[in-house]
Amino acid sequence: MKEWIFTTDHKRIGILYLVGSIAAFAVAGIMALLIRVELSSLGPTLVEDASQYNVWLYFHGAAMILAFLIPGLTGFVANYCIPLMIGAHDVAFPRINAFSVWLFWFAIVLALLTFVIPDPPDVLWTGYPPYSVQTDGNTAFYVFTVHLLGFSSILGAVNFLCTVIYMRAPGMGWNQLNVFVWTTLGAFVIQLVMIPVLASAVTLLLFDKYLGTTFFNPENGGDVLLYQNLFWFYSHPAVYVILLPAVGIILEVLATFARNPVFNYKVTVYGGIWGTVLLGSDVWAHHLYTSGMVDWLRIGMMVTTLLISLPVGLLTISLVGTLYKGSISFKTPMVYATSTLFLILLGGLTGIPLAMTSLTVHLAETYFVMAHFHYIMGITATFAVFAGVYYWFPLMTGKMYNETYSQIGFWLNFIGVNLTFWPLFGIGIDGMPRRYFDYQMYPEFESTQMLSTVGAFIVAAGMAITILTWIHGAILGEKAKPNPWGSKSMEWTHCEYPPGPGNFPTPPEVTAEWSPYNYGKHTAQSL
Amino acid sequence: MTIWFRVVAMVSAVALWAVPAMAEGKPLQDHTEHWNTLWHHVILDMTAIAVVFAAITIWFLVKYKRTSEDQEGDSPSLSFGASMAWAIIPIFLFLADDFYLAANGWKLWNDQRQVPENAMEVKVTASMWSWEYEYENGKTSEDLVVPVGAPVVVRGSSDDVVHGMSLADFRIKEDIMPGRITYLWFYPKEVGEHVWTCTEYCGLNHSDMYNKVVVKSKADFDSWLGTKG
Amino acid sequence: MASEEAHVHHWEWSYYPLILVAGIFFAVPLGFAAFFVYGSGLMSALFIGLGVPLIIWGCAGWAGEGIANAENETGWALTGLPIFIVSEVLIFLSLFVSYWMLRLTAPEWPPPGSPEIGLGIPIFMTILLVSSSFTYHIGEERLEEGDKAGFIKWLYITIGLGALFLLMTGVEYTHLLGEGFGFSANAKSTAFYSITGFHASHVLVGLGIFLFVLFPALSGKISHVFVTGAGIYWHFVDIVWFFVISQIYIW
Ligand code: HEA
Ligand code: HEA
Ligand code: CUA
Ligand SMILES: [Cu+2]
Repeated sequence: MKEWIFTTDHKRIGILYLVGSIAAFAVAGIMALLIRVELSSLGPTLVEDASQYNVWLYFHGAAMILAFLIPGLTGFVANYCIPLMIGAHDVAFPRINAFSVWLFWFAIVLALLTFVIPDPPDVLWTGYPPYSVQTDGNTAFYVFTVHLLGFSSILGAVNFLCTVIYMRAPGMGWNQLNVFVWTTLGAFVIQLVMIPVLASAVTLLLFDKYLGTTFFNPENGGDVLLYQNLFWFYSHPAVYVILLPAVGIILEVLATFARNPVFNYKVTVYGGIWGTVLLGSDVWAHHLYTSGMVDWLRIGMMVTTLLISLPVGLLTISLVGTLYKGSISFKTPMVYATSTLFLILLGGLTGIPLAMTSLTVHLAETYFVMAHFHYIMGITATFAVFAGVYYWFPLMTGKMYNETYSQIGFWLNFIGVNLTFWPLFGIGIDGMPRRYFDYQMYPEFESTQMLSTVGAFIVAAGMAITILTWIHGAILGEKAKPNPWGSKSMEWTHCEYPPGPGNFPTPPEVTAEWSPYNYGKHTAQSL
Repeated sequence: MTIWFRVVAMVSAVALWAVPAMAEGKPLQDHTEHWNTLWHHVILDMTAIAVVFAAITIWFLVKYKRTSEDQEGDSPSLSFGASMAWAIIPIFLFLADDFYLAANGWKLWNDQRQVPENAMEVKVTASMWSWEYEYENGKTSEDLVVPVGAPVVVRGSSDDVVHGMSLADFRIKEDIMPGRITYLWFYPKEVGEHVWTCTEYCGLNHSDMYNKVVVKSKADFDSWLGTKG
Repeated sequence: MASEEAHVHHWEWSYYPLILVAGIFFAVPLGFAAFFVYGSGLMSALFIGLGVPLIIWGCAGWAGEGIANAENETGWALTGLPIFIVSEVLIFLSLFVSYWMLRLTAPEWPPPGSPEIGLGIPIFMTILLVSSSFTYHIGEERLEEGDKAGFIKWLYITIGLGALFLLMTGVEYTHLLGEGFGFSANAKSTAFYSITGFHASHVLVGLGIFLFVLFPALSGKISHVFVTGAGIYWHFVDIVWFFVISQIYIW
């Protein structure tokens, strides 16, 4: 026990991240079910007024983004895999790593306290002032949840940048890194540079509410839009903190199950990944198209936002191209990964009308936006995490999950999410506003809302089965064969199953031909 | 290779020229119709892209299914030229599309922001959780009542927190907040009723903060406005 | 811990990260919320009373382990710190940007009712902070020459200068608050207290770090990486001060 709770080993820390982020996902998912039930019929359904609803929605949004996806991707997968992929015995600062994971766990505890404290936070995950300053709700807990998670991520960024810079196996050049390592570096650069901005935004909120300063109070020289700018300055790039590692995982899975190298490696890395990091950092104001800010800024932001389709398009081409002339087998990780090839199109391409200021003046704050981000984030990125869990499952546990039940879980999830979110595009275009506890003005949307609720329960069944296959596999699964997928990547070829303390029985060294994608006749030079 | 560079250069030159050219033009009397048109174009465009990518994906998934356990992938190595072509050509294709979208988006945006000179002014005040409209003659109202056939501009600010003015039927919205004056305008074409909703989260009764937009005939409107309330 | 013998067959672990996080959790979010949100000074005192000892225990234990083992003697820590400082720079930058936004959009500046803030104290504070950077540097040179006692002496002086700096902040605040220039007075007070306060909190953290250099040093344990790192941080805090004084006091 002691060696688990107080562990400083990156693999165990990774698993602690996994457990924490899946717990956050389950609770936030249950909140989503409550939300869906509430919306399934006109008028109050589950609760009398919106006060409960707003707390559920606060928890759902904040936890899904900040406590499930970001820690799941940059905490769990990065921690577990990066040292193994680069041939290191651990991360550069193991104790700081342990510090990060516990900051994350305590942030979840703080967020969970929402359900038991009086006057819970009701500011939703965006926390816009003046409402967040004027409300009786506990805005302080919102701020500190962000602080704890932010601090955790910044330290994670420092840790992983140092790890990849200094601890690669002897002989391993930059172009021999797994694509996933690159996506994580990109994500951590964003975290390092952008989180401080979010942290100061919410800190100023704290000052305004509790110490009486007037940053966001126009009656005393403040500016309402200042907060929104600072907030989205981080929170837009944050979507690429999610998207990049998600794409990284999908590429790893596709490469392994198609037995092909990642398509056009250098362009993917230097154009796709770093292009996304660069462009993604200067488009934040597309969340402010209807905020009343100056007109010229909206035009500039429209153009830069549209340009995001270039690097993300390159990444999409790599995803599809990796399949070309492959040898594709459809095990559960691959099934999740291939489904994301379609979902990323739905989610990404619906971002394009949103990027156009003139269309967004109608679409903003409607269910269209909500369906957009559920497709790209709530489904594509979430499925990427699931693909990752299944993919590395034999490595992490040394055991095998049950293939049949996992596939059943997948299909329930896949059908369920489409049933839940696809109809919502439609009522979004017809004007259904977000964050509505009730929709008396639009009674005609009731049947669609009901349909969506049915879908959500199908997802719930699929998710429950999925999580059970993990628990079952980890405890009772059959022993896995070494390297069951036949991957060429270092975490599979050089480790024990599962890897023990210090990771590698003998510290690995690589030649100039070696690459994690040495399939067929390929060498590092031919990528 | 060189031929591709030429194609790319031409496409981008056309695109660069097209942006300002398409963005010119006179202010409209009605931007709602144009929203619908642009929307359909964009959705067609996005559908086309999605179909192309999805079709190729499905094709690959079917065609390259593993046939025997020890089969390896057989993807070709890209030469430097091919590798760059796979970056540059798609980029310029996407760029061309982006410019097309940007130009059209920009043009409509100008229309949405340029209030026609003959627009009727209505002052609006938002507060948790209700709206108040005030007309030029001092009359106030809880619903937005407007005459048919002339543009209306609604302008104002909020007494407390950020709210959103949204007219879904007219495809327009803008937030409204303390310390700033914001506006939106629209063109009521027919007599009838529409919904006006609050679209920025403002606390407990956010979803109850809606009311009606009543479009009356000119005569009905005048008599409504004349009767002091 | 296993850096050199990667193949040792036991799992690495440490108590202190978790203890430190627990301390932070009680002292900061719970302590703050108990007082400011729920108006309970007693609860707040309890949480802080629980949290602060945990924080000190965690830091002390961690520093002890860190100094005792070789991992920290790699150069990585000295790369990690500047990377971390990048994010600190951005925090200050966003505070300054907020300040510029408020100031440049204000109809008049300073807003009516702001007292004149004298330059005397800030100039004196500048002298204190700059000389503390020098004294620390001298200390490091002594250490280089193997003169541990000299290092400790100059470290004391540095800490003294830093503490005096904080004291002067206190003096200035009391003076301004006495003139009725409270936090909520106007946009200027907002920016002034936030930025100077935030900088002062960094000075405080810097002093804390120095204490964790000092105590082991008194018993003869000196980690060169730790000493250099503390210095880098201190110089950073010093440089930020120049932005504070030029933007807040002089402009
Ligand atoms: C993982 C998360 C994620 C990702 C990756 C994205 C990706 C994108 N998002 Fe999304 N978005 C969110 C999560 C995400 N978003 C969230 C959470 C919100 C709401 C926040 C809130 O208010 O609560 C939001 C809201 C949001 C808005 C604001 C809407 C509003 O409230 O008014 C906008 C506007 O521009 C936008 C646009 C985009 C664009 C252009 C992309 C692009 O990156 C997409 C790029 C991808 C493609 C385009 C598809 C692949 C490319 C090709 C096939 C090439 C060819 C294509 C072309 C030439 C067009 N998003
Ligand atoms: C990663 C991001 C993510 C994910 C995965 C989801 C998943 C889901 N979301 Fe969420 N959502 C957001 C991010 C996400 N959402 C955000 C950011 C917002 C905006 C918030 C705001 O406006 O502020 C939002 C808002 C939002 C709304 C809008 C409400 C409103 O505007 O009023 C709705 C409504 O339907 C909704 C529904 C759902 C549903 C049904 C799912 C389902 O897919 C959920 C499925 C999951 C489960 C059902 C849990 C399953 C787990 C178990 C059953 C446990 C089993 C346990 C064991 C066996 C041990 N979400
Ligand atoms: Cu007013 Cu929402
Ligand atoms: Cu965005």
